Amino acid sequence: MEFISVQNVSFQYAEEENSQQVLNDISFEIKKGEFVALLGQNGSGKSTIAKLFNALLVPQKGKVFVDGMDTADESLTYDIRSKVGLVLQNPDNQLVASIVEEDVAFGPENLGIPADEIRERVDEALKAVDMYDHRLKAPYKLSGGQKQRVAIAGIIAMRPDCIVLDEPTAMLDPKGREEVLSTIMKLNKEHGITIVMITHYMEEAVRADKVYVVDSGSFVTSGTAEEVFSQVELLKKHRLDVPQATELCHKLRACGVSLDRLPLTEEDCVAMLREVLL
Amino acid sequence: MSLLQVQDLSYVYSQGTPFENTAVDHVSFSLEKGDFVGIIGHTGSGKSTLVQMLNGLIRPTSGTVLLDGVNIWDKPKEIRKIRFKVGLVFQYPEYQLFEETVEKDIAFGPTNMGLSPDEIKQRVIDASNFVGLKPELLEKSPFDLSGGEKRRAAIAGVIAMDPDILILDEPCAGLDPLGRDVLLTQIYRYHEQRGNTVLLVSHSMEDVATVCDKALVMNHAHLEMFDTTQKVFSQGEKLRAMGLRVPQITSIIDSLSVAGVPLEKGTLTVERAVEEITEYLKREGRL
Amino acid sequence: MRDITLGQYFPTDSLIHRLDPRVKIVSLIAYIVLVFCTFNYYALALVGASVFVIVLMTKVPLKMYLKSLKVIIIIVLITSILNLFYGAGEPIFQWGIIKVTWAGIHNAVFVCVRIVCLILLSSVLTFTTSPTDLTDALERLMKPLTVFHIKVHEIAMMMTIALRFVPTLLEETDKIMAAQKARGADMESGNLFTRIRAMVPVLVPLFVSAFRRAYELAVAMECRCYRGGDGRTRMKQLHMSKRDAVAIVLSLLLIAGIVLLDVFMGHIL
Repeated sequence: MEFISVQNVSFQYAEEENSQQVLNDISFEIKKGEFVALLGQNGSGKSTIAKLFNALLVPQKGKVFVDGMDTADESLTYDIRSKVGLVLQNPDNQLVASIVEEDVAFGPENLGIPADEIRERVDEALKAVDMYDHRLKAPYKLSGGQKQRVAIAGIIAMRPDCIVLDEPTAMLDPKGREEVLSTIMKLNKEHGITIVMITHYMEEAVRADKVYVVDSGSFVTSGTAEEVFSQVELLKKHRLDVPQATELCHKLRACGVSLDRLPLTEEDCVAMLREVLL
Repeated sequence: MSLLQVQDLSYVYSQGTPFENTAVDHVSFSLEKGDFVGIIGHTGSGKSTLVQMLNGLIRPTSGTVLLDGVNIWDKPKEIRKIRFKVGLVFQYPEYQLFEETVEKDIAFGPTNMGLSPDEIKQRVIDASNFVGLKPELLEKSPFDLSGGEKRRAAIAGVIAMDPDILILDEPCAGLDPLGRDVLLTQIYRYHEQRGNTVLLVSHSMEDVATVCDKALVMNHAHLEMFDTTQKVFSQGEKLRAMGLRVPQITSIIDSLSVAGVPLEKGTLTVERAVEEITEYLKREGRL
Repeated sequence: MRDITLGQYFPTDSLIHRLDPRVKIVSLIAYIVLVFCTFNYYALALVGASVFVIVLMTKVPLKMYLKSLKVIIIIVLITSILNLFYGAGEPIFQWGIIKVTWAGIHNAVFVCVRIVCLILLSSVLTFTTSPTDLTDALERLMKPLTVFHIKVHEIAMMMTIALRFVPTLLEETDKIMAAQKARGADMESGNLFTRIRAMVPVLVPLFVSAFRRAYELAVAMECRCYRGGDGRTRMKQLHMSKRDAVAIVLSLLLIAGIVLLDVFMGHIL
C-alpha cells in the first residue's frame, strides 16, 4: 500500500508566471517500510520534494497525499508532520534545547503527550539511535554524527511512520557519516520506518531499495540501485558520480572485457573480477 | 634548504589544567617548493591544529616552524607577514565573507598587506580567474552568490595574497560531485601554473589520490606516515588500523593482487586500474 | 571562553541542588529582601549565619564562591568606604573634611555584609540550578502574568534557544576570527576606534550566520510540530516534595526570626 503519493506535482517558489519551475509534473509513490533514495545535484529540486512530504510546502499544481491525507488541507498539517518527520542537513541548527534529552522531548511536548509517556518515548528514541548514554550532555559537546543522531531521535520520539532526511551526512566526517547511515538502516530494517533519503552521495543511495534520480525538477530514471547505477553514461550526463567499483567495470566493458552486469560494491566487484581474471 | 621545515612541533591545549590535551605530539617533516601534499587523519587527529601552527595562528608549545630557514616566531610582532606567505583556507570559508562586493572581499587580504591599489586590482582579477569566478560577479554582493560561487570567492580571497604555501582545509566539504570536481581541477591548475606548494586537508581518500603527489597521515596527534601518495595508499592495512580508508579503487586492486592477479598495489585512479587490467589480459592473450 | 558563560552551574549531589527551582527562586528573592531589612547586628548576624550555612550545604567548593566575590570586591570596598565617611553624628575621628562617625562604621559594615550576602545567594542559585531548570521555573512562576497579555511561553522559549546557541555562536566567533586573521586582519593593535572597525569582518559574517541559523531552526521547529505554548505538555514536571516543604518552613521561620529581632532588639541604623 502506498504511504506517500505524489500526483502530477509542479512547484515554483514565486507566484509570477516567468519564475523558474522547480518541480515539473512529477508523480511517484512510496510504500510503507521502503527505503527510498532521491539522488540529484544541488539545485535539482530534490530538497523541495522533501518539503512537500510534510506540508512545509504545498504544490501549486497536483496533489501530495500522506497516508491518505491531502497536504493542502491545513487542518491536517500537524497530523502529517507527526507522521512524516524531516531531518535537515545542519545538525547544529535543528537542536532546540541545551540538554540532549530535553531536545528529544521537544516534538512530543508539542504534540501534547502526557509527561510519563514522553519520558518513555525519549528513552526509547535515544536508545534506538544509540545516544542514551549521552542523554544529559549539552549538544555543543557532541560530535557532528552524534548531534545528527540526536536530531533523528527527536523525530523518532514523535513516533512517525516515515522519516525524510535531507542530506543528513553532507556536513559530517566519514565516521559521523557511517554512524548516521547505519542508524538509518537500523530504523528501516528493525523498526520498519519508511525512509526517504535525499543525497548526492552515490555510496549512500546504493543502500536503498529504490533510487530516484532527479535533475531540473524531473525524474531522469528510477529503479533498484543496481538498475540505476548500471546506467553509468546517463548518470555522468546528469553530473552524478557512480561508485569507483561500478566505473571500473563499466570502463573494462568498454575495452572489451566481458562482464554481464555492473557491481555496486567493492566486494561484489572483487568477486566478479576474480572470476574473469583468474 | 627546504621551503618549510617543521621540527619537533608540539601543541598542548589547556596546559597545566585537568583538561590538558596534546593535539600535536613532536611532529617533524619538511616541504619542498612545488609539493602537493594531502593531509589525512580522522577528526581530532591534530590536523587542524597542525596547519594552524604552520601559518602562525597557533603558537606551538614546543618545537619550531622554519619558513625559508627562518623561525616564524622570531619576531612575534610580525607574525601577520607569515600569514601572507602561508595562506590558510578554513573549512566552509564562505562563512567569512563580509564585504559589500565580491571584489572588495577578495581584496581584503591584499589590502591588509599594504599593496598599491593597482596591484590589488590585478591580484583580485588573477585570483578570481584561478577559481573561475566570472568578472561580472565581482560587482555583486557576496551574499547574492550561489553556494559554490561563495566558496570559490572565499578561496580567491586567500589566493589573492599570493602565498608561497596554500593550505586548504576540506575545500570540497558539502559540495556536490560536479562542484567538487570543478574545484579540485581549479586547485590543481593553480598548483601547476604557479608552481606553489599546496596542502590539502581532506577526508576523501579519492580526492587525495587523484590530485596529491604526497600524503601526510596524522593519527592521535602523531605523524604516522609522510610519503608519496602511492606508497601511503599501498599500506592499506596500516591505514585501516588507524580507522582510515584507502580509495575504493586501490582497495579493489589490492584484493585482486592478494587473490593472485599480478597487479600493482597502491593503484590510485580508475584509469590506471583499467590500463593495468587490460595490459594483464593482453599479456595473457585473453583480450 | 565557552565554559565561562555556562560554567556557572556546578553539579554536586546536595540537598540544595535537589530543591524545586521555583522554591529556590522565591526563597532567594525573600532572602534578598530580608538582607536589606536587617536593622541591628543580631538580625544581621542571623542572616549572615544562615547564608553561610546554605553556602556550605551546596557542597560547591568555597573557592567558586570566592571567585564570584572577587569580581565585585572593588564595588564592595568603594561603597563601604563611602558609607564610612558619610555617617551623621559625632565624629570619632576627623582629618580635614574627612570624618568617621559610629553611624558611618555601622553603615559600612551593613553595606558590606549585605552585598556579600546578595552575591553569595545569587551564586547559590546559579551554582545549584541548571540553566534549563531556571528557565523552566521562571516560565512557571511567571504564568500568572499571561493575564496581562505577557507572552510568558515565548519569553521562556527565547531564553531556552539563547542558552542553546550561546556556545555555538562563541565557537563560530572563534572560527571567523581565525579565518580573518589568516587573511591578515589585525585585531590586537591600534586605538579603540580602529579596534572596533577591525571587528566588522567578524561581526558581519556572525550576524549573517545567526540569521541563517535562526531561519533553519524555525523550519526544524515547524517540522517538529511546534505551534506555540498552547496545548504543549512538558516532559519534566516540577514536583514539590517533602524537602521543598521543609525548605519553605525553614525560610518562613528565618523571616519570622529576623522580623522579631528587628522589632525587639532595637535599630542601629
